Amino acid sequence: MNITVSLHGVFRIDRFKLKILEYPEGCCVQKVIDDLQIPATLLGTTLINKVHAKSSDILHDGDTLMILPLLEGG
Amino acid sequence: MKIETTDPVNHPELISYRRCTINLKTGKQQWKDVPCRNLEDVLGGFGRSFQMLAEREIKAAYCPENPLIINTGLLTGSSAMTGLRTYFSSYSPIKGSKAGLPAAMWSAGSGKFGAKFKWAGLDELILENCADTPQYIVIRETGSGPHIELKPAEHLLGLSTHDKIMTLHKEYPDAHFAAIGQAGENWQNVYMGSVALSTVNQLKSGDDKLRFAGRGGMGSIMGYKNIVALVAQSTDKHTPITPEVKAVHTQVIKGGGAARLQPIKRGGGGGTWAAYDVMQPFHAVPVNNYRPQGNDLPEKLFRENVEKEYDIESAACHRCGITCHNYIYDRKDDGSRGDFIAKFDYEPLNLLGTNIGIHDAGQAGRLIHLCDNYGVDAISMGVTISYTLSYNERHPEKPLFNGAVFGDYDKIRELIIQAGEGKLLDIGQGSMRLSEQTGETGYAYHIKGLEIAAYLPETNPGYCWAIAGGHMSMGSYGTLIREGLSDVDSWVKVITEDKLHIVGFDLIGLCKFFDITQGIGTDKITTILKSDFNLDIDPLKIKEAVRRSFLLGMALEFRQGYTKSDFSFPAEVANEPNPNIELPNISNPNFMNELAEKVWAVFDKELADMI
Repeated sequence: MNITVSLHGVFRIDRFKLKILEYPEGCCVQKVIDDLQIPATLLGTTLINKVHAKSSDILHDGDTLMILPLLEGG
Repeated sequence: MKIETTDPVNHPELISYRRCTINLKTGKQQWKDVPCRNLEDVLGGFGRSFQMLAEREIKAAYCPENPLIINTGLLTGSSAMTGLRTYFSSYSPIKGSKAGLPAAMWSAGSGKFGAKFKWAGLDELILENCADTPQYIVIRETGSGPHIELKPAEHLLGLSTHDKIMTLHKEYPDAHFAAIGQAGENWQNVYMGSVALSTVNQLKSGDDKLRFAGRGGMGSIMGYKNIVALVAQSTDKHTPITPEVKAVHTQVIKGGGAARLQPIKRGGGGGTWAAYDVMQPFHAVPVNNYRPQGNDLPEKLFRENVEKEYDIESAACHRCGITCHNYIYDRKDDGSRGDFIAKFDYEPLNLLGTNIGIHDAGQAGRLIHLCDNYGVDAISMGVTISYTLSYNERHPEKPLFNGAVFGDYDKIRELIIQAGEGKLLDIGQGSMRLSEQTGETGYAYHIKGLEIAAYLPETNPGYCWAIAGGHMSMGSYGTLIREGLSDVDSWVKVITEDKLHIVGFDLIGLCKFFDITQGIGTDKITTILKSDFNLDIDPLKIKEAVRRSFLLGMALEFRQGYTKSDFSFPAEVANEPNPNIELPNISNPNFMNELAEKVWAVFDKELADMI
């Protein structure tokens, strides 16, 4: 299945802004995070089709996954 | 402090702090070692000062009976990283109720002044009454304890915060300083004056890299009292860092919110500025007076775009490993670093940048620099300016002041200069009073008279229950974006249990970035208290003290004339929902009414016994 992955902030450094990646059926958000080597200490928010998601949520063909750094403090 | 117990919970009276009260009218000083009444007194900061403010009935901020309390926290000047905080507490000239009474307020700042103040042997300084002529106060360590002297300050008048500090630095090279700018000197016309605190970097480089106790007009109160600066002169007394404390510091740097704040080259997110990148995908970055337009304008101040043109330096406070902020410099034609422009933090950058239609980093930086030098709170100034620009957009035929509109750098700069120099009361008094004058209060973005921070109210119902500024006294501002919480019961818990604990850092002397997610009722804190002071405290007891302090602050709000209807957003939020914000709508009247009912059901029971 095809997943559109949208990265934000520092996660774009040495990766990409937007890319369509191919994954097997049944794959979850965490698999994408692991593959992209997103550091757990910086990981803040994930959204599937603009809805907040958990790392265990299952992805489906055509989904857009947004991965954002932690928002904490200002 | 004098500590003669290991049990501050059951025997706070065996811990005393040294207080000096100065009657500025007579010059008389009263020194006392004050036994602590409770754990809040031991922890310090506003936990102690608000108990004193509660004992006074103050009807106007600018009155001789309103004290300015300057104190530190238990861990200020200790071995704990970020232990640099100084607190200024008083009844505020800018935060006030519709009944016309001033609210109790505190403001905190880092820099090295707080540590020097404590190392001089003083824990608390209370300024009563007003001096007849401008003075500065020298707090000096001597062989027989701390000594305090008032000195004439005419030569400092009219100077910026930075210039006052650098002038005093020549005379007191081993000291650190707290100073007001022209804004505080002109307190009659500026209610949002801040207090600047000197840093090691500032004194060494000569660049105006200061820290500020910005919120609530504490610099204006200092100016009203005719005190233009404080000098704390002592030797450095760094407590050796034990292996236990070192281990805590490692946890702080690598965990919690601090990891995101680390410089990008160290694997972090690049400081508070990085909030832009996280909020923009939801169109939740404040634009043009908190009305994001659903476009990519905020991206112009993304770091990746700013660094094409300007030089950026990651920076930290003295002996702090968190490295939360950035300095921005001009870049010379040859590519080398040029002149220092300003300190880039998320709040002032947004409120003096994107939220007033300024999308050039250099221009935003220069406006931040102006506010810093005049000694004026960048948040209150930025929001009062954005209100003005919004008014002018709505009334092009009859605009306010010079007719400035969003993005008009030259005219906005002119307004800040006039207000900072005390020549424009209408702006210097803040957005609440200005909007009451115009009769258009619905888009004045303050709550309870204090301008909100650079997070949309639509993302943070918790603002309404903050007691001393939207983001420093209620840590709920990132919750909707980060977690997507959109049910009332979760928000009740956020406000009444989890996120009020951010104020704990304003008791104990540490910066909130020490552990923004957990607060101070943790094993990390108790480890340091044991190591530095041989104190045994249950973290739960610390949490209880923080909660009592928070609730006392809220109780004082009611005593000063606030009603529950004041705990609400500007009307525009409900009346004109912004369709561009791509987040669940948790600011609609139904949600807010149900939330208020449930939050008050929790707080009311505890508030009943407070005063």
